[in-house]
Amino acid sequence: MTQLTLTLLAPLLAALVIFIGRRMPEIFALIGVVLGLVGAVGQLFGVVDGQTATAVLPFLPDMPILLIATPLTAILSLVVATVATFVVLYAVGYMRHDSQRVRFFGTLLLFVTAMQGLVLSGDWITLLGAWELIGFASYLLIGFWHDRAGVAAAATRAFLYTRSADLGLYVGAFVLIGVAGTSEISVTLTAATGTPALIAGLLLLVAAMGKSAQVPLQDWLQRAMAGPTPVSALLHSATLVAAGAILLIRTAPMLPNGALIAIGIVGGITAVITGLIALAEKDLKRLLAASTSSQYGLMLVAIGAGVPIAALLHLIAHAAIKSSLFLGAGVFQHDRDGTDMDALAGAGRARPGIFAGFALSALALAGIPPLAGFFSKDAVIAAALASPAAAWLVPLTLAATVLTGAYMGRALHVLWAGDVIEKPKPVPFMAAGLGVLVALAAVLAVGFGPLEHLLDVELPTAGFLAPALGLTAALSGLALGWWVEPQRLMGPLYGWAQRGFVLFGGMETVMARPALAIAAACEHLERWLYNLVLGFGRINISLGWLARKIDINGIDGFIFGFVRKTIATGGRARKLQSGFIHREMALAVIGMAVIVAVLLAAPLYS
Amino acid sequence: MIVELSVALSIGAGLFAVGLYGALSQTNLVMIMMGIELILAAALVNLVAFWRYLHPDVMSGQMFVLIVMTVMAVEMAVGFGIAIARFRSRGSVEMEEARELKG
Repeated sequence: MTQLTLTLLAPLLAALVIFIGRRMPEIFALIGVVLGLVGAVGQLFGVVDGQTATAVLPFLPDMPILLIATPLTAILSLVVATVATFVVLYAVGYMRHDSQRVRFFGTLLLFVTAMQGLVLSGDWITLLGAWELIGFASYLLIGFWHDRAGVAAAATRAFLYTRSADLGLYVGAFVLIGVAGTSEISVTLTAATGTPALIAGLLLLVAAMGKSAQVPLQDWLQRAMAGPTPVSALLHSATLVAAGAILLIRTAPMLPNGALIAIGIVGGITAVITGLIALAEKDLKRLLAASTSSQYGLMLVAIGAGVPIAALLHLIAHAAIKSSLFLGAGVFQHDRDGTDMDALAGAGRARPGIFAGFALSALALAGIPPLAGFFSKDAVIAAALASPAAAWLVPLTLAATVLTGAYMGRALHVLWAGDVIEKPKPVPFMAAGLGVLVALAAVLAVGFGPLEHLLDVELPTAGFLAPALGLTAALSGLALGWWVEPQRLMGPLYGWAQRGFVLFGGMETVMARPALAIAAACEHLERWLYNLVLGFGRINISLGWLARKIDINGIDGFIFGFVRKTIATGGRARKLQSGFIHREMALAVIGMAVIVAVLLAAPLYS
Repeated sequence: MIVELSVALSIGAGLFAVGLYGALSQTNLVMIMMGIELILAAALVNLVAFWRYLHPDVMSGQMFVLIVMTVMAVEMAVGFGIAIARFRSRGSVEMEEARELKG
């Protein structure tokens, strides 16, 4: 209970303190993530003791935030907390000279909070809220350097891609809630069967495809490299991209066969296609981004093969490996002011220590024993071999493994084979974060046995077949990547892969054009409405003008005319008054004479 | 009696004619007012003659004559007041020169 609350609220409070206090963001960020890590470790010990902890935090009326620590969620939460801690440690060094550190660390901690909320939520509504917060925070972080060219567009693209796929989560979650009659996740997972479960599973797959950058929604992840490197490291290892896989791992118990096969196929195809993209990529960070999609494809293969635990293991190993790879790449980026492969040539040799860490992580990702990646990939291959859809999944998995080796081999080759052109300064904070994560990537595998025990599952074993296949694939991939130019290796596929396998004109045609057409139609309608309203206004103005005319020319004219006539009459009457007394008297006499005449004539006419 | 009445009316008409001539022919304010006095006196003569010969028992006729005489006296006072003021300020009471009083 306490640990759960601590895990979720420590980063949130730290974020609030940073935003309100605006002082020493690094210190508070470190305190926040370390407290979160303490909480996560505590709750893991709790579930080892065999108790499932729940915490209910007050929120909206009748809608509390329900947190739950099962073995699965506790492990995932610990992964998130660990990666977050070391990424923040690294970011203290990376962002040292940035003037916007307050905004950076505040948003970063908000992001971590949202991710913990997603991982620990025991309720679909909480999960949806956390999911939205993740999208929002990632938008802010990818667009952190929004004044640089193209960054805002990349952030918007990431947001829109994931956001449109989120519709799947909404509909899927509400199908599950509707079937079960409650929004508690553990209940809905057992309640849904048959067609509703299939529909919900496919919809959740759509949501996961958006967040985990699976084909055909993979494009945004590479562009999201526009953000700062610690953000990329966090995004790719344990947070945003992981959200999709975590969603599927958590809902795996209810997924029916049809949905599982779809998940496996999507994952396998993604793993191969994004592997090819990574191999053809000319930018180190974009290569790593494409590789992330590929590795998450492998996790989806494991889920599709019905062994979500293999996916979980690979997720954990990948979290440590990919964050350390990004942190290494960030150091090289600082040295050479860019992540283009040509610019980075030889950057590794200039920093042997950092390069050793980077190489160790790269080998781990390729799957070389005894590093963590070997065991997790082995589990994935074994799961694929044991799956009913093995004929589909095994070739895709092995191809992805070869490609993983190839692109990592190529990256190492570029970093090592080149001229040393600088004398680098030591980077203690960055090296510390990187070192710990690399160590984790290397030795994480010792934790896999106890983990399986804790989760109470048996991984499928395929004897020596799976490790042998995996190791062969990894070694051949590494060799190919080190010695063979990707242009020769890929042949006609090279150019296509470099353009990101744009099918049917890519997203621009499939999504953007219809969207733009709808927008144009809306604008047309809007303009029509505008003109309509404007027309009404014009008619009213004309009426007002007419009324004014009538007022001026009619009523006023009448009144003023009356006044003028009266004045003229007065003027005429005035002329009678001459001022000559005799004349007036004479007039009076004449009048009197007329009266007398009339009176005298009376007998004549009466 | 009728003969006596017509004699009185003839005297009244004569007075009226003299007064009218005076009022129209003179240019001096005082002279004009004297003409008007004569016209009024003619009217009074007519009034008294009618009362004396047609309705000698009704006293209101006599009263009416007395009131008209009072009004005549008041009117003369006002008229001569104006004439004196005019004479003091302009040194003349010629009515041809008094056109500016019209305003």
